[in-house]
Amino acid sequence: MSSAGPSDNSAGPSVNAASSVSRRKFLGAAGLSAAAVGLAACSSGGGTGASGGKSTGKATLNMWSWYTEDQPVWASVIDEFHAKYPNIQVVPRTFGSLADYSPALEAAVSAGSAPDIFAPATLAISYGKAGIVLDLKSQLGSSFINEFFPSINQEYADGDKQYAIGWEAQMFRIFYNPDILKKAKVDFPETWDDLITASAQIRSKTGLAPVALNGNPSNNVADFYLPLVTQASNNPNLVYQLDNLSNGTSWNSQYPVEAFQMMQKLQQNQVFESGADAVTYDEALALFYTQKSAMLFFGSFIVPGLLTSASPAFNKLYKVGMTPSWTSGARHWGANQAGAGWSVNAQSPNVDAALEWLKFIYEPSRYATIMQKSSSMAATMTAAAEGSNPIVKEMASWITDNGCNHILFGVGSETAVGNAAAGVLGGKLTPTAAAAQTQSAVETARHA
Amino acid sequence: MSAPVQAAAGQLTPRRRAAGPGGGRPRAGVSGRARGQGIGYYFILPAVVLFLVFIGYPLVRSIYQSFTEWPGFGPSKYVGLQNFTAMFHDPVFITALVNTIEFTAVTTIVSTFVAMVLAAVLRAKWLFGTVFRVAIFVPALLSLVVSGTVWGLIYEPNFGILDSFLNAVGLHSIAISWLSDSGTVLPALIVVAIWQSVGFYMLIFYAALHDIDPELYEAAQLDGASVVGQFRYVTVPMLRTVTSIIVTLNLINGMKIFDIIYVMTGGGPDNASQSLTTYLYSLAFGGQVAGAIPAIGYATAIGVMVLLLAIIIVAAQLAIGARRRLT
Repeated sequence: MSSAGPSDNSAGPSVNAASSVSRRKFLGAAGLSAAAVGLAACSSGGGTGASGGKSTGKATLNMWSWYTEDQPVWASVIDEFHAKYPNIQVVPRTFGSLADYSPALEAAVSAGSAPDIFAPATLAISYGKAGIVLDLKSQLGSSFINEFFPSINQEYADGDKQYAIGWEAQMFRIFYNPDILKKAKVDFPETWDDLITASAQIRSKTGLAPVALNGNPSNNVADFYLPLVTQASNNPNLVYQLDNLSNGTSWNSQYPVEAFQMMQKLQQNQVFESGADAVTYDEALALFYTQKSAMLFFGSFIVPGLLTSASPAFNKLYKVGMTPSWTSGARHWGANQAGAGWSVNAQSPNVDAALEWLKFIYEPSRYATIMQKSSSMAATMTAAAEGSNPIVKEMASWITDNGCNHILFGVGSETAVGNAAAGVLGGKLTPTAAAAQTQSAVETARHA
Repeated sequence: MSAPVQAAAGQLTPRRRAAGPGGGRPRAGVSGRARGQGIGYYFILPAVVLFLVFIGYPLVRSIYQSFTEWPGFGPSKYVGLQNFTAMFHDPVFITALVNTIEFTAVTTIVSTFVAMVLAAVLRAKWLFGTVFRVAIFVPALLSLVVSGTVWGLIYEPNFGILDSFLNAVGLHSIAISWLSDSGTVLPALIVVAIWQSVGFYMLIFYAALHDIDPELYEAAQLDGASVVGQFRYVTVPMLRTVTSIIVTLNLINGMKIFDIIYVMTGGGPDNASQSLTTYLYSLAFGGQVAGAIPAIGYATAIGVMVLLLAIIIVAAQLAIGARRRLT
């Protein structure tokens, strides 16, 4: 008992030490600890981040994309590659959508831990100029690059540099249900005027929506609108000139206005489903495969989507037709770019392994097989011609002669065009107002 | 104190001294408090470190970033207040700001009022009252993404249940495309937000109602107050503190609204439903638009603006609440 007091006072050294912790010392310690945690997190990024290392004698290639249609294919291709290159391990990571993928990639790039190989979306040229991705032309050679459709290479090229190579090509066209057209007693339209006539008949005979078009998000309306600019002008270079505001072009000029006028004409004649500017991708797709619309405007990437969403009977039923032309006999210009490609991280410790992997997957027969298995449109001309899905194969045959640009790279262009086109589609903007709004929005974005 | 008394005090046992009112107790108290403080600091250290790493540093870094121009890679360029001045010349920002304020004001007023009324009504012994309470609360258990997806299908003009119902009962003129009309899109989203949140707020009010002394209602009844009168003069004043908390939560949730808009409209049509958070996200990460170029500096400046607005609005609301309590 007698020791109770002294033991309280001396509880010893630890209590004295603890009681000497001042608020300032505590905050200092917390700050140091936080800095240590932060530094530890940062330092680990270099070795075990998205970009794989060689610490075990094996190179691990991290490969990121949002190409969900390829997911089932990778396992067998990787096994085959691993058998040939046992020291290279490929780890694919597929995000659910571009919307999910973009923030992850941007975060990885800004943290300096981008994956070894990745889908650059629309940022390949920006990344290339910043030294983040390699010029693949110098690494793989011109003959390798020349295998791809020129329109696909154009998406990723800056001068003589090629900052990505295409993985998938694409063609936007109109898919149709022949049973509904037959019931409405109409043929697949050749021109936009034919489509307007057919639409009236489809509505009166079947009560169904003629064409399903998704305007949410609005860039899908831009996919519809931009080829109309090419059709109006019959100049496949005009869209990129507008994107760059080069050669004295302006969105508030003759051909963009005429293209908006055509959209307005289609909208006023009820060619599209109700509220098309708010309809999402999934909803438009459902309208088509549940046979509530006679036609669907979409890119060839819808083919694998229909295989998983629609019934086998419907997949045998539907067909694809050329985008209607401006006038009878004119070219059926349609959007032909995909935005699906591969870049190689210039800072990757595994550049050689990454290039070996690319050469491996693009070997003609293997690449053609991958594309066939995923029902995707190949980005190389040879593989596209070998496509096994008849719809995709037919669409690929239109790329060169009837394909035109539709992906905009200039600051503010895609958003401005999409919003204006959606405004016309919703009947809220006149063609001249839409054209003026587009030009104004682009100028604002570039001067912000 | 005389010397003999001091000597006597010196003969006390240590235990007695410790318990004594003169010198021992304060010493023991100081020692205990100091010991408690020291150990307490160690207990909160992990939380403080996590706060500094995940909130403190990002906040400071974001404020710095808002004064720069940066696409998300390469070096950033210091541009001073340019991002902040550009906001007020950016029509999309102005639209997003107005939408955010409108969304916040309407959801705060309607959610709070409806939740309070529902709680008061369901406090009465209704048949199946529990079933109603659960039914109203269930939406609060759903994620906003799920709610947004489901309501997107409900509003769909071609096969959505809402327009199908309106057409079936002959109301063709109001069977419109709710999400593609710039006049209806924001109200349509507000309905979803209220549907989602009102059950949670109702539950808080419902719990608070049980703390109100029943004698107050009895007294009001004796004074001849109607049911509405009892609600107005007993329930509402007695729930003032809880109401203040719910209004604060609503204001914060309104200012940072993102999920429902992102899932249902992406900010469209033509930015008619754009909020500050969906706009900054689309600037930073391209949102759902494929061709967008990241503008992280400008987006961060908008984020800082959202923070400032939230602080100002919530501080004003708390100040008003405090003044009311004093009066």
